[in-house]
Amino acid sequence: MDFVTLGGNLLGTIPLGDIVLYVTPFNLFLFAVLLGFTLLIALSKPETQVEATMHNLNNTEVKVGPKEFKQRRFLSIICGIASAGAMITGDLFNFTLFMALVGILNIGIVSAVKQTTVLNSAFNYGLIAMMCSLPLFGGAAIILAATGTLSLAVLSQMPASPMVVFGAVLMLIGILGESGVAPFFASKAEMFRTAGSPFIVIIHLSSLFIIVRAVEILLLVLW
Amino acid sequence: MAEILIQVIIAFLAGSLLLGLHRKVMARVQKRPGPPIVQHLIHSLKFFFKETAIPKTVSKVFYIGIVFILALVWIVGVIVGPVAHDSLLILFGVYAVYKIVEHNSGSSSGSPYGKLSCVRAVLSAATELPLFAAIVFVYLVTGTMNIGQIITYQSVHGPLVFSIPLAALMFFMLIITKSPYSPFAITKDKALISGFETEHFGFLRGFMLFSESIAWYVMLWVFLTIFFGPLNAVGYLIGMIAITFVTGFINATTPILSPNHSVMTQITIGAICFFGTILMIFTGVVA
Repeated sequence: MDFVTLGGNLLGTIPLGDIVLYVTPFNLFLFAVLLGFTLLIALSKPETQVEATMHNLNNTEVKVGPKEFKQRRFLSIICGIASAGAMITGDLFNFTLFMALVGILNIGIVSAVKQTTVLNSAFNYGLIAMMCSLPLFGGAAIILAATGTLSLAVLSQMPASPMVVFGAVLMLIGILGESGVAPFFASKAEMFRTAGSPFIVIIHLSSLFIIVRAVEILLLVLW
Repeated sequence: MAEILIQVIIAFLAGSLLLGLHRKVMARVQKRPGPPIVQHLIHSLKFFFKETAIPKTVSKVFYIGIVFILALVWIVGVIVGPVAHDSLLILFGVYAVYKIVEHNSGSSSGSPYGKLSCVRAVLSAATELPLFAAIVFVYLVTGTMNIGQIITYQSVHGPLVFSIPLAALMFFMLIITKSPYSPFAITKDKALISGFETEHFGFLRGFMLFSESIAWYVMLWVFLTIFFGPLNAVGYLIGMIAITFVTGFINATTPILSPNHSVMTQITIGAICFFGTILMIFTGVVA
């Protein structure tokens, strides 16, 4: 299946040897939204989270400290750029690399938090992400072994052999685990309870957009 | 440009009136008189002229920016859908941004109600998988993601609702989820006041209601177009009113589910429809 059928008219390509970066309205939309959100993250200061104090009639204010703020903002911006890269790449291996980087950064963004439940959730998500990196990279490797290329432009013109289908299924499992969507979302949901709205939004955004892009990539490879 | 403007205005007006009708249907089912059908439209316009207050706990850039992103993203939805008949995948992307807006407008306020709504928005991401599956099944049957070509396919082979009814049901689940007072509307549970909208006042709330109306119109339009196409203006009008009636009746007679039950129900229905459609494809029921 070609890009035009999936993502709309081809707006342009950037040929780099076997690897061709391509831009369709679909890719451009995802790329622009991610860059826009990354810019907003760079400009934002975190909110003050107000919580009820236990056994008392007061409110507790949870704030992000200055050092924590700098570290989390830096990781969030890198996460935004990595996710934007995953939206525009025309290479299967680059996509898996960006995906793995996003998984690591998602844990990094909440690693400086001092709430035990949040850290536990990040730890559980980290375990799943680590386990799913094997099918993610393994799937891409099997597709490379079966077809001799990682270029999506070339893969989209090839018929899918059983080995390619097997590789694509492995990749799908890897993507689901790495991005922490259903059925793995339960491990990730607690990570969002912490303060620092501009930083945790990129965790959710990167996961969702990678799934959206993965749909296009898997359809390109399989049909 | 003029067509985009006209379509956005149509989407806003039609969406507002349909949401007003939705409230009216719910009220009548519950034996209440209910507000007039134009009430949602009047509410939306009224908020633009009310005083806007910004809580001191907010993350200001996102708190204000997110409502504009919400409006912008559904205007993109109108351009991709009713105006350009472009790729379904872009609309999938639009819906993903909508989920992010739900998430961030809740968390950026610093309010505990918004925060809980934000965490529930992450949990309710379970609706994305049936949506994704429905879109893929449409693609498998028609061989295209382009809405214009899907309409052409249906004009030759008949509406897709007859060939992949379970995929249509999966999409309809999404519409129920996003309808007001839905049993799956865990992000706007009344225990959370108004959920992620709780701390947005004045013209910011006006933008949210404006976007809600457009979102309702676009979702109904996409559903009718890819499963009941090709339709003329009267067909769309009848279809949208019918779906609004059905969702209003369902929402009036069902209580809101707890987050865990909501997610499990959605996943269960999604899984049954997914495997049912695969079975239909492999047994040759779907050509």
